[in-house]
Amino acid sequence: MTRWERSVPVYGVPVFTRGFWALVVLIAAGLVLTVYREVVGLGGSVSGMSDPFAWGLWKTFNVMVLTGLGSGGFAVGIAAWVFNREKLHSVLRLAVLTSFLAYSTGLTMLGVDVGRPWNMYWLVAPWTWNLHSPLLEIAACMTLYATVPLFLENLPPLFEYLIYEKPKYRGLAEACERAMAKVYPFIIGLAYILPIMHQSSLGALMILGGNRVNTLWQTPFLPLIYVWAAAFLGFNCVVLCLLLAKLAWKRDVDPSVLAELNKLTVWTVYCWTAFRFLDILFRGKILHVFTDGYYSILFWTETALILGSAYVLSTEKARKLATMFRAHLLCALGGMIYRFSPTTLAFHAKDGATYFPTAVELTVSLSFVGIAVLAYLVAVKKLAILPGTNADWLKMAKYEEQVKPGIQLTGYAPVEH
Amino acid sequence: MAMTRREAFKNLAKGSLPILAAGCVSAALPGIAHAEEEKKAPKGALGLLYDATKCVGCKSCMVACSQANGLKPDTRIDGLHQAPPALNYFTKNIIKLYRTADGSDHSYFKQQCMQCIDPGCMNACMFGGLRKDEETGVVWWYGGKCVGCRYCEIACPFHIPAFQWDGFNPKIVKCELCRDYIAKGAKQPGCSGVCPTNAVIYGRREDLLKEAKRRIAANPGKYFQERVYGEHDAGGTQVLYLSRVGFDKIGLPDVGENSIPSGLKYSHMVYKWLALPIAMYAGMVMFAGRNLKEHTHHLVEDQKKTGLRPQL
Repeated sequence: MTRWERSVPVYGVPVFTRGFWALVVLIAAGLVLTVYREVVGLGGSVSGMSDPFAWGLWKTFNVMVLTGLGSGGFAVGIAAWVFNREKLHSVLRLAVLTSFLAYSTGLTMLGVDVGRPWNMYWLVAPWTWNLHSPLLEIAACMTLYATVPLFLENLPPLFEYLIYEKPKYRGLAEACERAMAKVYPFIIGLAYILPIMHQSSLGALMILGGNRVNTLWQTPFLPLIYVWAAAFLGFNCVVLCLLLAKLAWKRDVDPSVLAELNKLTVWTVYCWTAFRFLDILFRGKILHVFTDGYYSILFWTETALILGSAYVLSTEKARKLATMFRAHLLCALGGMIYRFSPTTLAFHAKDGATYFPTAVELTVSLSFVGIAVLAYLVAVKKLAILPGTNADWLKMAKYEEQVKPGIQLTGYAPVEH
Repeated sequence: MAMTRREAFKNLAKGSLPILAAGCVSAALPGIAHAEEEKKAPKGALGLLYDATKCVGCKSCMVACSQANGLKPDTRIDGLHQAPPALNYFTKNIIKLYRTADGSDHSYFKQQCMQCIDPGCMNACMFGGLRKDEETGVVWWYGGKCVGCRYCEIACPFHIPAFQWDGFNPKIVKCELCRDYIAKGAKQPGCSGVCPTNAVIYGRREDLLKEAKRRIAANPGKYFQERVYGEHDAGGTQVLYLSRVGFDKIGLPDVGENSIPSGLKYSHMVYKWLALPIAMYAGMVMFAGRNLKEHTHHLVEDQKKTGLRPQL
């Protein structure tokens, strides 16, 4: 059985594949439309948003849903570093990479969505902040997270790349690596507290929506339930990436790590669902679960997808990778619907106004997802991100010797501390 | 070195303790400090009193509003009449008609900013693009701090702020009780100045509330619920309404007596003095630091065996 021991790049595969160029086309189309949007404004043919339905895909999907999916960085990180789940260290690089890509594209998307982005510069003047605004908390905290702790967490693979492949920068990279190791606990502490803060604030956003958010979703505990959902979405995303890597590049999987991640997902989901039902029960709204027509169906769709998948993951069936993959996919889908509901699916707009994204909105939204996917594909091929074995590393070393002679990938003596 | 189950539990318990303790402390803090006071209207709070029973639906106030605010009339419906379907970025004030399907009952109603005492929009606004005048309590938009995020539109229970959907450099448009118009020397806002039936009158909130209560007392059974909408609704508003038909029929939702921002009071407790986040941060740094040492030890051991550079 495979045991993941170290991260190994996906070697011997071309970077510039047909998929790569397809993504480039999508991104180019998205960027052109972004410029168009900046010139003509948000109305008319650009977006389906209106005064009663003032938030569209760019905020509600690219920021509120996808940063949830990109929460692996803190969810897996806390399990590994704070609760000392030693095995999970092998997938941490993957987790922080998905987080960084989700956050950086989400934040850029936020800049495209707002009408007067030039006023964002007030972020550098904390004394002008309205500390009561959940959105301010998000804007400040997410930016800080993505640019400092999360960015730093993603540097070690880059340092490694420099050390192996760019002898000129080797000394500098090694010095940076040592410096980072010294302050690492302070960095990752920040990398865990900040997302807990802003992921919960994403839920707090809709508290100000008052009774326009259906009562099954609207609760004073919305922030807690929201950040909790981010945790299992993060696990889902990491497992899905691992299984897709197996599918695409035949990377071996370590069943014990996957089992650990499944266990975490299952218990996070069980507690989350129980808390959600208790919250509805104590608010005296339990009958709405059955009698609210469309909203009841939506509620049960979420619950069935999330809880059902978690149940499957808890059984022996989930040992089969295909079943595990489907379960995580459906669980992620349910979680994403949950994160999408308060702003859109369970939002009663004035006079029954509805929202449906336009082609422009969809293209731009997908193109920003495309940027993240493209960056991911390049990163895992160039850097040591995806987990593998020492044997994999030695195989890669042999392969690289032929391609790039003079690169030393093995035979390092331990440094005395 | 694998961790035993016992050690794992111990670790877990140790990790949770400071976090739990911090939770208890920060939950108790608001009690130790003092409960957040309910917001009161400023002394000189200005407002409008709109009596739907007096309105004849002439829409003069809409024209006067456009003129007083220098707004282009919204004639997009037929290129001729100023007949916007709802408040929008051309329209800070609108008269609408409520009518039952069979025509047996009807009432006109006016919509504009309610000038909340504790406004949801202002609470939502990131940098203070929406502000409340300290003397008059009028809520106004300041473009220099607005990022155009449209959170005010989500946070307003009355659906008042309107975003300029077309063009570059969009604005948020809402009634500011003719703040600039009055500063230029006008005695009162455009709408109340032209109303032929005095359905809408302008004045200090205190006086308007007294007048509304006088009307209710003088006409028993005439007004819906025998109360003034806005006295307590949404934590109190400076624009007050009287109506014969139900308030929900004339665009005034049943939002309860708590202000919109008060929904966040539990969140504010969690963030009080940042005590909980800081304590959690300290706890996580402590455990991560300890586990990092152990992890580094493993890495060095591995390197001895394999000769591969350790990875953080």
